[in-house]
Amino acid sequence: MKRFTCSGCSLLCDDIIVKSDGLFVTEVIGACLKGKERFDLVSAPNRITKPMIRSNGELKQVSWDEAYEKATEIIKNSSNPLLYGFSNVTCEAQEAGMKLAQQINGFIDSNASICQGKFLNKAKNLGINLTTITEIINKGDLIILWGANPAETIPRLLNKVLFSRGKFRMTGREIKTLVIIDPIKTASFNVMGVRDLALIIEPNKDIDLIRTLKEECCSADSVPSEGVAGIDQSDLKRLLLHLTGAENGVIILGQGVIQPHPDYDLVEELLELIQMINERQVKGRISLLLMGGHFNMAGFDHVALSNYGSFGKLEFKNNQIVQTENTLISKIEKDDFDCSIIVGTDAIAHLPQSLSSKLANKPLILIDNHSTTTSHIADVIFPTSITGIENGGLAYRLDQVPIELQKIVNPPNNLPSDEKVLTKFFNSLNQGGAK
Amino acid sequence: MELYKHLPKTNCKKCGKPTCMAFSLDLLQGKVKVDDCPPLLEAKYKKQYETLKEMLGSEEGQQKELKINVDEDLCDGCGICVTVCPVNARYCPSSLSGKAPDYPPEEHQLFQVVGGKCELLKIEHCRRLEAGGRERECRVCETYCPREAVKIEYV
Repeated sequence: MKRFTCSGCSLLCDDIIVKSDGLFVTEVIGACLKGKERFDLVSAPNRITKPMIRSNGELKQVSWDEAYEKATEIIKNSSNPLLYGFSNVTCEAQEAGMKLAQQINGFIDSNASICQGKFLNKAKNLGINLTTITEIINKGDLIILWGANPAETIPRLLNKVLFSRGKFRMTGREIKTLVIIDPIKTASFNVMGVRDLALIIEPNKDIDLIRTLKEECCSADSVPSEGVAGIDQSDLKRLLLHLTGAENGVIILGQGVIQPHPDYDLVEELLELIQMINERQVKGRISLLLMGGHFNMAGFDHVALSNYGSFGKLEFKNNQIVQTENTLISKIEKDDFDCSIIVGTDAIAHLPQSLSSKLANKPLILIDNHSTTTSHIADVIFPTSITGIENGGLAYRLDQVPIELQKIVNPPNNLPSDEKVLTKFFNSLNQGGAK
Repeated sequence: MELYKHLPKTNCKKCGKPTCMAFSLDLLQGKVKVDDCPPLLEAKYKKQYETLKEMLGSEEGQQKELKINVDEDLCDGCGICVTVCPVNARYCPSSLSGKAPDYPPEEHQLFQVVGGKCELLKIEHCRRLEAGGRERECRVCETYCPREAVKIEYV
């Protein structure tokens, strides 16, 4: 039976069996609950199937031409547009968004910038050791979950990296050691065995642990006897032995570690620690895996890097890319934009109220497939087909591996893909300029 | 070990085994019965005799039926039970590498994830019913479920 790729989260499982009658998905086999919910979106009650325009404070359904006209008008009247989202769309749509941003001199950013994107930015200076899921399945022997709870956020991740058996070592769970560093006892702790190491760390003390590990990196004898950050001496010694003795270790980083702090840079110190360990390692290495939420969170950085040579956010002036210190947050905070195009995300709900109210005050064009908080204040709404189910394309998995998504069923009302809507913006603006 | 604690521990060799420890291991594997130990039948060991009977009764599941309950509300379809189940591994080797098994399922297969929830297809080929010796003590699906949704029970 043919297998499809699931677009429920950034793990992009490519072994899902889907039964459909051409119009609806009838049964999903092999996908976790998160993936199943994604397939349920096709017939969800809050699905938008017609383009809408807000007039006199109320949304009303209009034809596609009217909607495009209105959107083009908004974009033409603006000199400093903001494009945001792009984590729930294909790489093709991301590229179309960047082209559009270049055309209209806008600022474009993705959800990753307030999430794992910072890591890749920091890694530009320090270098980063990435690994792939297959590599962990086949060769991995140490898995460290740092501030991550995959059992509840990416359900099949533990199944793949910890329990499955590799080709080169015919054992699975038996040779893989699991270390969890977390301030609270999450559901992931339930899969621990006798040899595994559970470290309950005091909240916001990760930095102390990292600094101690950096100092003691090569000798387990000089570990402070009183322990550090709520972790006692013997556990600390065991952690050091695991870190320095693993042949193919991987640190899986969750949202818990990525929070910014005014006094120090956790991300940078962690990358330095990994570098130090790898320099001293004789036979193995430690690598990183970033846990993203949206299915194509990693893609934006790759598309930006290959097309414009810059990670993440891009700012254009006179149709040329410029170096920028701005971020999405600073842009909105300074009111440094005059209209926004939101693609495939619920920005109003995700951002803090002080920022989202500023976003709501300016004209807002929304490209999405469901009614969300953002759609309640949007001025023009373009419904699109659901990526990974109703249209295909390329997406990057959480280990930065590109995976092809397939089309499974036809979209209702022949809805266009995100890429087509963005390309149409681009084309209609080009025609307007020629006249 | 639990069984050994309740034996006389005199190493009298009346049962034909060299030590009480050896007897307890055979007892666990079902090779001998509690009644095969002559001192246990004496009056002074009556209490231990009854505890042993009770312990073995629950472990071997005599007259009790094996049930594996999957709590639908807790399960999030991670598929760990599908991967770790030794019966699944033997009959659908592809599931060993974390891949979802084929559909329709193989006839021996125990677990399958359908519609985001784990489903127990059939229990007949479970190790607790078919295997012998220590393998009968298999509890991997219950042990490794992160959501504590799988429960092995005798009712």
